[in-house]
Amino acid sequence: MDAPAEPAPTAPAAPRALMAPATVLERCATGISGLDDILGGGIPRGNMVLVSGSVGTGKTTLCLEFLVRGAERGERSLLLSVTEASDKLIQNLSTFEFFRADLVSDGSLVFVDLPALYNKLGLEGEELSADEIDIVIRTIHDLVRTLGVKRLVLDSLTSVCYRIRRDESIRDFMLRLGQSLSDLGCTSLLVSEIGPTQGRYSMHGVEEAIVDGVILLWNTRRQGDILRVLQIVKMRGTAHSRAQYVIELTPIGLLMAPHLKGSQQEGV
Amino acid sequence: MAPADIGDRLRGLPGGSAVALKLDPREYADHYFAVLNATLRDIGGETDAHVIYITVTNPASFVWGLAQALDVPADRISFVDVISHIMMNYSNPLANATYIETPRALEEIMLRVDYLLRKFPHPRAIVVVDSLNALAIHNPRELLSEFFHIFLTNLKSRNVLTLILMTSDEEAGGLEQMLSLLVDETIDVGGGR
Repeated sequence: MDAPAEPAPTAPAAPRALMAPATVLERCATGISGLDDILGGGIPRGNMVLVSGSVGTGKTTLCLEFLVRGAERGERSLLLSVTEASDKLIQNLSTFEFFRADLVSDGSLVFVDLPALYNKLGLEGEELSADEIDIVIRTIHDLVRTLGVKRLVLDSLTSVCYRIRRDESIRDFMLRLGQSLSDLGCTSLLVSEIGPTQGRYSMHGVEEAIVDGVILLWNTRRQGDILRVLQIVKMRGTAHSRAQYVIELTPIGLLMAPHLKGSQQEGV
Repeated sequence: MAPADIGDRLRGLPGGSAVALKLDPREYADHYFAVLNATLRDIGGETDAHVIYITVTNPASFVWGLAQALDVPADRISFVDVISHIMMNYSNPLANATYIETPRALEEIMLRVDYLLRKFPHPRAIVVVDSLNALAIHNPRELLSEFFHIFLTNLKSRNVLTLILMTSDEEAGGLEQMLSLLVDETIDVGGGR
């Protein structure tokens, strides 16, 4: 009787992905150390994300690093600034090692002062009408499309909303802006200024419902000492960490460490 | 272990190891100097090494003075000084030191070490925590346990050799047991391992 044939060697089975999503969306890697890790690789491309926090929590710096890292990767990045003049922002950016002035000079990193744009468009009233809101959205859309912008920061949404005021108009503005940017494959961060103990993520409370994601920044006290903390509250299209992280704005960029929970803390 | 043998022992450790160095408080000065000699000159002096020294017990300026006596070059050592601010002794900061306002900001310690590891990438990075006892004065045990668990695990994953100085007094009693679960070994300086 012939000996039974040796079974053919088989390749070892690959480990099963236990929590893999059915579809993995393309990511816009922020390039910020640690942040991409807790976002599962980055922000889903085209998402509109609220970066919410009180003063001095690092919102603008996080957004500027997002733009610089994008420009470095060949993704044209645009800052629409309402609260600070571009010259001053570039001056502040130059204190960080990750900033490269050539990204500004070669047009990879574009700064636009929104008040100057308002003037150019003749939008001088205290409150924007429905038609004027439409003009603003179309102007931003055209800017992003013409320049081929892949990353946009609006600093701040709160300042823009001061001139929109009504909740329905804000909701409509954000829905249309978000759709417009998403259609162009542009990932956007909108800075939202909130009070230290506001208990919501935006000035009007409607913004967080519209956006795809919310990154919350706040200050917390430990026995009188203040720590800056970051948490991803919401991010459509990806699994993400919901833990809290202490952040530090270093010369090489934003760094993150797990927030230790061993003692009582309070928001400030 | 005899203080003179510590350097050889530490040299033989693979990257990613975490070791507690337990000093006898009765012979603290001699043993402390021997440990500094071993960490800063014997292994820190290797050509590709960079030591990140976290000072909680003494200001960085004090440890830097000892390091200079051992001929440790300034570009081989960086300090994370966690004590000078709280002592109001911050008027002459060292160029090779970064200062944290309080030993209670344990996350800041992790972040500064992370910063220095990224800023000065070296094939052989060594982190020294001086000391467990000093951190324990300012932090509750639960918080400190959480800190060391995360900190040591992170450094291990980055192949960093971590040395934690402690004295064998009563204050460190509970913490010594906690630390023994996290480190690869405890070396009893001047005594048995």
